[in-house]
Amino acid sequence: MIKRAIGIVGLLITISLIALFNPIPQEQPSPSRWLKIDAQGQVMSPWSGPWACVYDTKTQLLWETKTDNESIHDGYWTYSWNDGTRGVENKGDCYFEKERCDTLDLINRVNSEKTCGLDNWQLPSSKELLSLVSRDTKPGEPLIAIDFFPQTKRGDYWTKDSQQRLTGTFKYLKEGTLAVDFVNGNLTKLPYRNASFVRLVNTGYVEP
Amino acid sequence: MVVKPTLSWTLLHSFAILFVLINLATGLRIATLSRPWLLELSALLPQGALHWLHIAGAFGLSATAMAYVIYRFNQRSQRTTATLSDKYHRIITWLAYPLVILSLLTGWLQFFDSALSVVDIHFYAALGFLLYLVVHAGGYFIQYGWPAIKRAFVPSVADSKPSWNIVVPAVAGLLLWYYMGYQPSNDLLVERIPLTTLVTIDGITNEPEWNNAQEITVLTRGGANFTNGETLVTIKVLENGAEAFFNITWQDTSKSLEHLPLVKTNQGWQIKQDGFNQFDETAYYEDKLAIMLADQCAPGGGGTAHLGPKPLADQPANFHGKGYHYSDDGKVRDIWHWKAVRTNSMYLADDNFFGPPVKPRAGERRYSAGYIADGKESGAYVMNWQWYKPEVIVPKRLPKHNELIAPYQVDHQPNNQLDHKNNNLQTSDNLQWVISWFDYRPYLAENDHYPIGTVMPSVMYRSNRFEGDRAHVRAHGQWKDGMWTLELARPLNTQSQHDVILQTGTCLWVSAFDHSQVAHTRHQQAIRLLFEGNHD
Repeated sequence: MIKRAIGIVGLLITISLIALFNPIPQEQPSPSRWLKIDAQGQVMSPWSGPWACVYDTKTQLLWETKTDNESIHDGYWTYSWNDGTRGVENKGDCYFEKERCDTLDLINRVNSEKTCGLDNWQLPSSKELLSLVSRDTKPGEPLIAIDFFPQTKRGDYWTKDSQQRLTGTFKYLKEGTLAVDFVNGNLTKLPYRNASFVRLVNTGYVEP
Repeated sequence: MVVKPTLSWTLLHSFAILFVLINLATGLRIATLSRPWLLELSALLPQGALHWLHIAGAFGLSATAMAYVIYRFNQRSQRTTATLSDKYHRIITWLAYPLVILSLLTGWLQFFDSALSVVDIHFYAALGFLLYLVVHAGGYFIQYGWPAIKRAFVPSVADSKPSWNIVVPAVAGLLLWYYMGYQPSNDLLVERIPLTTLVTIDGITNEPEWNNAQEITVLTRGGANFTNGETLVTIKVLENGAEAFFNITWQDTSKSLEHLPLVKTNQGWQIKQDGFNQFDETAYYEDKLAIMLADQCAPGGGGTAHLGPKPLADQPANFHGKGYHYSDDGKVRDIWHWKAVRTNSMYLADDNFFGPPVKPRAGERRYSAGYIADGKESGAYVMNWQWYKPEVIVPKRLPKHNELIAPYQVDHQPNNQLDHKNNNLQTSDNLQWVISWFDYRPYLAENDHYPIGTVMPSVMYRSNRFEGDRAHVRAHGQWKDGMWTLELARPLNTQSQHDVILQTGTCLWVSAFDHSQVAHTRHQQAIRLLFEGNHD
């Protein structure tokens, strides 16, 4: 009888120990295609922030991160398309230029700042920008991994693919540039003077 | 031994063991929602959609108890000895009777949303059962060893008057009845008012039409901070053929608007919080009310409540260990989430839904399974920190003028400390804890000259209110004399795939939050809308 009593006590202790040594699991970040990069170019944990850039391990491209802090990276700013030789100057809206803004303004500022330690920032190609389009989104979100690309707007983002013949309403403006629409994930041709969003890309980042 | 087991007794005993164990396991898991300390036992408890199983277990135990009464009338006494140990076992066995009666009675009272406060009694009866299992089963095992276990499941004598033929049908019948979709609900008549009648959504229910509307009052239980975790919620609904109007009142002794405020410390700005890092804030949070609507009336939050830290094996765990909401049947449950700070000044409730669980996102720490906001075209509230951290944060913006935050300092003087734990909020009723984005400017360290102890609200309105699918529910609440009054309005049919049509047969549930993030009250019986002139 004593042995059985000890057995019962042992069973209760065992159950208590199981409960004690199996606390609620604390979730850890899972591996991701995207890496957060800080302003100095260092990789950050997926759940830390704020971050300055995102590195795509699939395409080896480094992308500018947008903010809402009224800096040159603010996601609300828009830009007309201009590369210095072609396009239309200063038809977008931002706070960081005395005049209004165009894509060259942003590129110059970001290169001057050496965002994420790099200075060869540029507009992405259509293929590069389309690589960011994701259909795995929640209702009303832009078609992008919003957890890594916050402040992305449901709108058009410029590419570098200019000299596109315009048709339809904009035919009289003759040519423009391809943009990616993050509402439906399609390419669209827009006149240079259009005020669209910009996310710069860099091909020179080397993953540590 | 006191009684030699017959087939009827063995059946009854086995059913009782089965249903008591089911109800203990599922019930203790359900109890973790309002008694977080029980999460220490989390590893031993089942996870997932357990409410239906708990109720099915209650049906089974009730049937077993009723069959046992008949069995006792039928059986002939076998008592032949009365040693000391027999007396011990008999006394212990008799303890089960009040425990069963108490558990079933308080359980069914909760199931039918009785206004009696019986949650604690139900819980302590469950703890009594745990103790009973040890002293009853353990006592027999210690005295008789394995033969006692065998005896519990193998009959050794014939029934003097067979009862098993009523035991099995009774248990099976009740379980089948439940399985066939027993979905009890309380009907609420929705009166039709003329399309020309104006119902102003302002939280002031002075429209005479409300006086004639049928009302239903339900006791909701298990919420943090409410007195005894309970609050009575009264609901009236009107409709005009295009829109439905809701008038909802509930008891809340404290008007809580201080939503995760920022406070300047020696280390920098910090968020006042108690549980927010585990997404279970219960101190510095706004009051809220959630309304869930569905085209069916299943218990357990319309079948969406999935309990435990990791109810989906292939999806992330939740940090608070309580569980999350999602639908198993592919359908959506409409959720209107009114928030006393974040949406009240927008004159909106946040139009959300429970759908199938979504894929987790690598960059997001919180996985909310099927709890998703409807899409919006524009409009936002923004929290005033660059990145959430449990320790020190950097605000997104600082006020352009000190006067903007001067009113918030009054309530935070040392002699006027807030005492959330005791619901002694001493904030001014007129103080809005929402700040305007454009009255503030981006944070710069050189502008951060605020003294230690400075308090700043954290909810900013960036632009206009929500627009689009997420803005379908107009709402505004007012707090007065320990009572929130909330008016809401929504088109009967929004055409949105994330909304439920308001019509006869639509079921709704309400949950109140007393400055808590997720620890809401709840009730069992759905409230089934019955539209006047459109009766089924």
